[in-house]
Amino acid sequence: MLGVYDFNGHYDWTFAWLEARGGDEALRDYWVNAISRDSQAHARMEFARGFAGMSDYWGHTLAEEGAGYTSGQTESLSGKPVFRLDMQECPSKGFLLRNGLDAGTDYCDHCIGWVGPAMADAGFVVDHEHDHAAHCWWEIRPIDDQTPPSAAGELGPEDVRLRYDWAAGRVDRFGRTMDPRDND
Amino acid sequence: MSTYSLPYTDPKPLGAADFYYAINATFSHVRSRYGAAGLLDYWRGLGRDYQHDVWERWRVGGLPAVAEYWIAFFGHEPGGSVEVRTDVDAVVLDVRECPAISHLRRGDRDILDIFCHHCAVMGDAAAEQAGLAIRIVGGNGRCVQVCTVREGTPPQDPRVISLCAEPAERPGAEANAPVGEA
Repeated sequence: MLGVYDFNGHYDWTFAWLEARGGDEALRDYWVNAISRDSQAHARMEFARGFAGMSDYWGHTLAEEGAGYTSGQTESLSGKPVFRLDMQECPSKGFLLRNGLDAGTDYCDHCIGWVGPAMADAGFVVDHEHDHAAHCWWEIRPIDDQTPPSAAGELGPEDVRLRYDWAAGRVDRFGRTMDPRDND
Repeated sequence: MSTYSLPYTDPKPLGAADFYYAINATFSHVRSRYGAAGLLDYWRGLGRDYQHDVWERWRVGGLPAVAEYWIAFFGHEPGGSVEVRTDVDAVVLDVRECPAISHLRRGDRDILDIFCHHCAVMGDAAAEQAGLAIRIVGGNGRCVQVCTVREGTPPQDPRVISLCAEPAERPGAEANAPVGEA
C-alpha cells in the first residue's frame, strides 16, 4: 500500500514522474487540479473563511505533520492585517533531507503550486520565500491590499529570515503570486 | 526496529491521514491525464523505482523481511486494523479495515473506483524485484494480501480486486468479504 508516513517521499517521486511526461506544465496542472482543487478541498473551505480559517487549517495540519512553525494574523506597519506563517522546520522537506531523497524537481514549489491558486480563489495574494533547507515564510493579504512584503524581523522575532541557518543564498522568492512559475 | 523494517526515518509517530486525500487525487489525476495505461505505469514505477529500498530489504531478507516491513509500515499508518501472519511459505496481511479507504470515506471523498488496484500492481512490481509475488483477495476497504516466493508467477490481474465504487465497506460486512482466490 502507498502510505502516508512516507508521503513526502512518493510525492517528490511523483513530481519527477509527471515532469518527465509533460514538463513544468504537467506539474502545474497537477498542483492546481489534483492537489489544490481536489485533495485540498477541505483547505479551500477554510481559506474561504479568511484569516481565521487559515489559522484553523494550518494549526491542524502542521500539528498533525509535526512541524515547527509560528503562524497567525498580525498587522503590517501600515496597520493593515496580514496572515504570517514562518516555517522553522518544514516536516515535508525535512523528511526528504533526513532521508536523502531528491527525485530531481524543486520540491518546495509544490506549496505555492497549490496554496497560490487556492488563495487567489479565496480573494488573497501571497508573498513567499523558501530556502530549500526546510525553512520558509508566507505573508497573505487581501487581494486589494498593495502592501509590500515585510522586511526581515519587521513583524516579529519569529521571522524565519532571522535564523542563523536561513539559506539566503538559495532562496526562491514569489511576490503576490499564485503560480510557481512566477519565481522572482 | 530491525534492519528489515522501514527504509526511512522520521520523528513523527504516525503519518498525517489527510495525505490519503492527495494519494487518491493523484491516482484520479494520472488516469484522467494519461489513461489507464498511464496509471498502471505510474504504479509499477512506484514499486520498482520509488520502493527500491523496500524491495532491496525483501530481496536480502526474504519473507521474514516482508513481514517485518508490513508490521512496521502499518504501525505508522493512522487508523485501520491489520494483522500480519507468517506461514512457512507465505506472509499473510489481513487488512480488516484499510486506513486509506476508511479515511477517504470519513472525509466523504469520491474514491477512485480502482484505488485498491494500486496495492496489487505497485506491491507486486516491488515484490518481483525481490523474487517474490503478492496476490490480493477482496478490496474496497477489506482485503487479504499474500506474499510468496515468485517461482514464475505472472502478475495478478488487478480486475479481480473489488472496486471502490461498490458499496462502502463496513468491517466484517458480508458484501466486502474476500471474494475468492484470484
